[in-house]
Amino acid sequence: MNRRAFAVLCLLALSPQPSALTGPQALLAQGAAQALDRTKTPPVGKTPELRVPTWTKSTLANGAELIVSEKHDLPLVAFSITFLGGADQFEPAGRRGVAGLAAAMLSEGTKTRDGEALSNALQLLGTNVSATVGGESGSISFVATTSKFPATLDILADMMTNSTFPAPALERLRANRLVALQQAKAQPGAIAGRVFPRVLYGDSHPYGRSATEESIKAITRDEVVAFHQTFFKPGRAVVTVVGDITPAAVRPVVEKGLAAWTAGGTKPDFSYPPVPALKPATIYLIDKAGAAQSTFALGLPGPPRNTPDYYALQVMNTILGGMFQSRLNANIREEKGYSYGVSSQFNFGKGPGPFRAGGDIVSEKSDAGLTEFMKELRGILGARPVTAEELQIAKEALVQRLPGTFASVGAINGAVTGLWIQGLPDTYYQQYSKAISAVTADDVVRVAKKYIDLDHLAIVIVGDKANIEGPLKATGVAPIALLDIDGNLVK
Amino acid sequence: MTTQTRSFTWLALLLLACGALADAQAPAAVTTKSAINIPFEAYTLPNGLNVVLSTDRTTPTVAVNIWYHVGSKNELPGRTGFAHLFEHVMFTGSGHVPYGVHDKLTEGVGGSNNGSTSNDITNYYETIPSNYLESALWIESDRMGFLLDTLDIAKLNAQREIVKNERRQRMDNQPYGRVFEILSNNIYPATHPYHWDVIGSMEDLSAASEEDVKNFFRLYYAPNNAFLTIVGDFDTAQAKAWVQNYFGDIPRGKPVPRPNVAPVTLQTPKRLTFEDQVQVPRLYVVWPTVGEKNDDRFALAVLGSILAGPRTAPLTKALVFDTQAAASVSADQNTNEDVGEFFVTITPRPDHSLTDLEAAADAVIQKMKADGPTLEQVQKATAGEELSFVRGLESNLGKAFQLANGAAIHADPGYFRTEYQKTLAVTPADVKRVANKYLTSGRVVLSVVPAGKADQASKPAESQSVK
Repeated sequence: MNRRAFAVLCLLALSPQPSALTGPQALLAQGAAQALDRTKTPPVGKTPELRVPTWTKSTLANGAELIVSEKHDLPLVAFSITFLGGADQFEPAGRRGVAGLAAAMLSEGTKTRDGEALSNALQLLGTNVSATVGGESGSISFVATTSKFPATLDILADMMTNSTFPAPALERLRANRLVALQQAKAQPGAIAGRVFPRVLYGDSHPYGRSATEESIKAITRDEVVAFHQTFFKPGRAVVTVVGDITPAAVRPVVEKGLAAWTAGGTKPDFSYPPVPALKPATIYLIDKAGAAQSTFALGLPGPPRNTPDYYALQVMNTILGGMFQSRLNANIREEKGYSYGVSSQFNFGKGPGPFRAGGDIVSEKSDAGLTEFMKELRGILGARPVTAEELQIAKEALVQRLPGTFASVGAINGAVTGLWIQGLPDTYYQQYSKAISAVTADDVVRVAKKYIDLDHLAIVIVGDKANIEGPLKATGVAPIALLDIDGNLVK
Repeated sequence: MTTQTRSFTWLALLLLACGALADAQAPAAVTTKSAINIPFEAYTLPNGLNVVLSTDRTTPTVAVNIWYHVGSKNELPGRTGFAHLFEHVMFTGSGHVPYGVHDKLTEGVGGSNNGSTSNDITNYYETIPSNYLESALWIESDRMGFLLDTLDIAKLNAQREIVKNERRQRMDNQPYGRVFEILSNNIYPATHPYHWDVIGSMEDLSAASEEDVKNFFRLYYAPNNAFLTIVGDFDTAQAKAWVQNYFGDIPRGKPVPRPNVAPVTLQTPKRLTFEDQVQVPRLYVVWPTVGEKNDDRFALAVLGSILAGPRTAPLTKALVFDTQAAASVSADQNTNEDVGEFFVTITPRPDHSLTDLEAAADAVIQKMKADGPTLEQVQKATAGEELSFVRGLESNLGKAFQLANGAAIHADPGYFRTEYQKTLAVTPADVKRVANKYLTSGRVVLSVVPAGKADQASKPAESQSVK
């Protein structure tokens, strides 16, 4: 690997410098190509000005907020209704999956259109209305060409306010979800995705629970209807319209389209039960006989999105595992060749969302892979000091990524509703660069030490027990507990 | 099938972009068919490099995309997986650009980079803030002109291990992950250039030598086999000057041989059973069809949209809604440069056999062949094309892929317009005709079943086991 010379070159690349060979004159000059010095990194042009979209805010008659952002270069409109709170707030205990079923049932028929009529109308409009409910928010949304926007909005409103919840449709959806859960039992990534949060948060915290065969089977039509009546309320919703419209023109269209959606609902307070006491570091091994790779998930409960450490954590994680050239991937994929890719992230929410590092490691290198994960985690905790270059690249990457996040009406819609869900100020994006720039190398180590507690690290590994248990034990990293694919302790 | 170098996320983007077809210059609120457009300028350097430029100042970013007209179909038996392995090598640094600089000048400044390999082409791309366009051209030109200066066996070996991990992650350790490899092996004869999967076999990946890499590079990575597309926020004159400056002195290569690809038809059905690490069986019914250059592909794509997807589509309605024997069903035309396949994929509900599902699907297909679709079915299948095209215009990279696809495969960067028009021109009679022409008894029926449950295959007695 050629890992010696690039540091110097790259520093040059990040600071603008003059060049004799750029510009149209280079094209005109005969033999310009011969004179080109390819050993010199080309100069960087002037940093483009950050153009953050603007939006207007108002309140609809039913109490829902309305946000409108104009973008007129293409005849497109992204429309969404976003609800504050989700499955973690509104699903009854033991009924994981009711939120998803309630959302899916919106497509199954209204007082005036059955499921086929809804489907036919949307097909002819060339678009689709999607409804989803996640852990802490939900949405009903579509993207349409400008001319089809009012007609699509009418269908969305019909689905949201006039759904009939036909019982046979619920049984069909339930059966198909059970098939999906069955299929997931063979997917190592899906297994780790279910067991890791359960290990971290247990069954008493919503973050630890996911839909199971038992919960899906137990859900009744009444519970689905009750969820719908409770959840899809304007009092906890924001309506966002982004694209080829104006606030003045679109407001009456929205008021008329959503006229049947009457006032009600309040914003949830997002109070969660306490996270269970941390357990001493443990390897939780789930057997998947014959697996060619071991799927790793290492982590802990992290801080909520509103932590003042947010920016320092973003920089820290970018250095650790947030980019292709971050420490974890540069070492475990690129240098060691143990994986097709490893990474880390904080899943920030209203509550203590997890920090998780991981990836798929070739079976026979499971022990060596674990050793390298631990080495990089100890590194970011201070064993390997953060260099000035690492810090600079992480900050540049985070800040200069912004313009691309406003490239489409859907992306702007997502950015605006994201701020609304997290209660962040309208000037967030203007302040972002400053907040990231202020992060120091000391901050990086400070937040790593605060949130990555190796003495209590949960290490979930889905792999071929017969071949990897011994080598994993021999690493001495932590004792091994055997779990089944649902995360229950195997005696 | 396409294989990616760095992560899966880009795959979705690529598919979205290639499925999308519209017009940056169109006046808002007016989208007529004639407004479907991506403005571009195309020219060729004396060394043969094909260049396409398209400015869009909406967002201060640029997409740089190079397609090399080489893919797994250019490989030889015994060296399968080579084009994709080589793609990985292209990210290990070149004569004047040490390893690591590429990521720093793309991802490290808020952009991204990746590559992908298909049967037909190998694709490299960067998205960058617009002030980093020159450095992106420097990097791409250096690996086109000077890759071999720093290549050694150690670099090749390192990438070999990563590619093997990619194969494990995407195929060997993934339920249903080996399906497309098995299907290619069984639709195309052993010597046919589409017989093997892009990822290649573990054995062949181990066999690739440093000399193989060098010969492959010299033949296929010459400017006369490359299509450079730049889309986004840049000044055209400036970009032309940089292109000349960085690519102009790379020498033209030898003429590139194109593999002889014979069309394939199966005389009799092939029935196969694959025992996999799955919990739920699945049925794949696949017919050989046509590639990019045969216009029947448009009607075949519309046929796929008509047959399955929305609840009103006849296959979905019959299998998932009316009888509820299936949890899901899909129907799609997959189009490569020279060949294509039409896929029907069915996932059963418990207690419903693949044998019964195959018969139920055949009954629906038989009715479509006899009656053809209604005009409304065709209209519903194509009504989303305008939105799909206009949404594609929101992505510089998506536009770059469309322009490059036209330039490389159809010698016309503006082919997106033809593609759009031909899709909207498909009639019920066209759909009926292609259904009868291609959905014949000459097909592969592959049952994927849980290990030890070969009896769950469709018509198990007639089905041959594959490994």
